[in-house]
Amino acid sequence: MNRETAPLLRVEGLSKHFPVRGGFFRRVTGWLKAVDDVSFQIAHGQTFGLVGESGCGKSTLGRAILRLHEPTAGRVILDGTEITALPRRALTAARRRMQIIFQDPYASLSPRRTVLQTLLEPMEVHRIGTPRTRREKVLELLHIVGMGPEVLHRYPHEFSGGQRQRIGIARALTLDPRFIVADEAVSALDVSVQSQVLNLIARLQRELGISFLFISHDLAVVQHISHQVGVMYLGRLVEIAPAEDLYRDPLHPYTRALLSAIPVPDPKRRRKRIVLQGDVPSPLAPPSGCPFRTRCPEAMPLCAERAPRLTQRHDGRAPHRVACHLY
Amino acid sequence: MSSALLSIRDLVVEFSTERGRVRAIDGVSFDLAPGETLGLVGESGCGKTVTALAVLGLIPSPPGRILSGSIRLEGRELTRLGEREYRHVRGKLISMIFQEPMTALNPVLTIATQMTDVLVRHQGMSRRRARDRAVEMLALVGIPSPEKRIDDYPHQMSGGMRQRVMIAMALSCNPKLLLADEPTTALDVTTQAQVLEEMVRLQERFGTAVILVTHDLGVVAETCRRAVVMYAGRVVEEAPVECLFEQPRHPYTEGLLASIPRIREEKLPELPTIPGSVPDLLHLPPGCRFADRCPRADELCRRREPKLELRCDIAVACHHPNRYAGCRE
Repeated sequence: MNRETAPLLRVEGLSKHFPVRGGFFRRVTGWLKAVDDVSFQIAHGQTFGLVGESGCGKSTLGRAILRLHEPTAGRVILDGTEITALPRRALTAARRRMQIIFQDPYASLSPRRTVLQTLLEPMEVHRIGTPRTRREKVLELLHIVGMGPEVLHRYPHEFSGGQRQRIGIARALTLDPRFIVADEAVSALDVSVQSQVLNLIARLQRELGISFLFISHDLAVVQHISHQVGVMYLGRLVEIAPAEDLYRDPLHPYTRALLSAIPVPDPKRRRKRIVLQGDVPSPLAPPSGCPFRTRCPEAMPLCAERAPRLTQRHDGRAPHRVACHLY
Repeated sequence: MSSALLSIRDLVVEFSTERGRVRAIDGVSFDLAPGETLGLVGESGCGKTVTALAVLGLIPSPPGRILSGSIRLEGRELTRLGEREYRHVRGKLISMIFQEPMTALNPVLTIATQMTDVLVRHQGMSRRRARDRAVEMLALVGIPSPEKRIDDYPHQMSGGMRQRVMIAMALSCNPKLLLADEPTTALDVTTQAQVLEEMVRLQERFGTAVILVTHDLGVVAETCRRAVVMYAGRVVEEAPVECLFEQPRHPYTEGLLASIPRIREEKLPELPTIPGSVPDLLHLPPGCRFADRCPRADELCRRREPKLELRCDIAVACHHPNRYAGCRE
C-alpha cells in the first residue's frame, strides 16, 4: 500500500477499562469497560463521525487514541507510527501531529492569557520557529479561522462562544497537525453560530487535508461533516458505514432508533417513531451477549447468548459493517 | 383576546450588572389560550428564560426587577402579587420543569417525600392519599414499578427518569399552566423522544397549557401549536407552527430555520449560516436589533426599530418581512 491509499489513522482492538474500587481497602471490585475492542480507520483528509449517547464511551475513545487516557489494550497507528508503542518522552513529539478540540473552549482556554499568548504557547513548548515567524504564524491562523489582528491582545472572556471556539481551533492548528479529535466541538454553540463553526471545520479539512475524528451526540451535525460514521453503544462500535449509506440505509436497530428519535423541524412530517423502552444499562453491569438487546425491539434468544461481531453486510456493496445477529 | 389564560403585555425586565443596567427583555407581549402549547424559542441570551421566570415570579431581585408591563393569569395581575400570594399561585396554578432535574429535586429526600409534600401543602390531601396520588402520577409518566421507585432518592434514577418525576410532580397539582424550560436539552435523543411523548400525552389529558422554552426548533415543530421567536430581548415573530416553518416572515426566523443541521437526502456543500453574532444588550444598535446580521437591512432598519405588527394570526417585527404566503389559519 502506498501512502495515499493507506489510512492515516488505524485503531485496532482498542480498549479502555477503568478499575472500579470499593470496600475498606479500596480494592478493585470490577472493571468499567468504557471502550471495548474498537477497530476502525480514518483515511487521509477525511472525517470520521463518531456518534452515540452520553456514557457510550465516545469521548473516552477519542482520548485513548491520543493517549490522554492510557489504553488498556489495542493499537493506534498514526501515519505509520505506532502511537501506543511510544515511550512517554517520544509521545510529546508525536502529539504535534495530533490535537484535540473540546466542547467548552471557555474551560480549555486559560482566562489569564491573551489570544496571542495562547496561540504562541504550543510553538514555544515545541521550540518551533523564531519569535518573528511564530507571530506571523499566529496571524495566519487567525486569518484562517476568520479573525483579525485586533483580537491578539484580548482575553477569552471578551469573546462569544463561537469566537472562543474559533480560537480553540486556531490553537489546535498551530503545530500543523495531521489529525484532530473534535470532541462535541460545536455542541455548546447556538445553531446560527454552530453552522459557522461547522463550515469552518469542513473547510479546514478540505484545504489543509487534516483528518478529523468528529465526536458528537448529534446525528444531523455528524452527517453534514463526515465521510464515514461509526455508531457506539456501551463501549462498542455497533455500526460503521460511509455517511450516505448509514443515513439512507441504517442497519443496526439502535442506529434506526437513534435516527428516528431526532425531532424534525417540520410540523407536517410527523414520522412513525421507534421509541426505545427503558434506559441505557449501566456499563458496570452490561447485559450478556449483545449490549443493546435489553432495549432492542428485534431481540432474539441468540442475542442474550452471544455478542454479535462487527461484520461486513453480506451483499457487500458498500463497506458497511454492523454488529447485529439480524444480518 | 379576553379568552386568554395568560396574557403578557409590554413586559420589561431589567438587571443591574457591573457594566450597567441591561434590559434582558424589552417589551415582550403574547397570549396563551387554555390548554395550548406555545414554544418560546431563541438562542442563548434572547430572553426566553427570563420571560418564563418573570411569569413564575422568580426573577432574582436584586439584581433583577420587572420594570414595567403586565402579566395576567386568568385576568389576575401577577406582577403586583406579594411573595406569599405568588407562592400560592405557583403551587396551584402554575408549575415548572427545568433543564436539569437534579438541581430542582432535593437530593436528601426521597421522591415520595417530595411529591407528597407538594400535594399535602397545596391540595390539602392526607399523607396517605397524597402517596397514592403520587404513585398514580409516576405510573402515568411511565416509571416502571412506581410503588417501589417512589421510595428512591433522586440519585438512584437516570436523567430521563428524574425528568419524568419532575413532570409527574409538576402535573400532580393539576396546574392551569406548565412552564417547561429546556426540559429535554440535557437528555439523550432516545430519552428525549420518550419524555416529550409523555409530556404531550399528559398535557392533552389534563388540558394543561404549556409554555415550552427551547432553543430546539425541531422540538417546537413536534410538540407546539404556536411559537414565539425571540431575539435580543424582543419578540420578532409569533405564528402558528405550520406557518412559521413553511414561510417564516422574519429574516431571523428564516436564518435560524435554515441553519439547523438536519438529516438531508443530499448533503449540502455548505450549511447556511447567519453571519456575525448576537448584539451586546448593553450596546444595542438604535434601529432593528437584527440589522447587523440581516441580508435585507437598509437605512430605515438601522434608524428605526420595527414594531411587532399582527396580521392574520401572525405577528412580525420587521420593516421588510417575507410576504404573507396565505397560511390557512
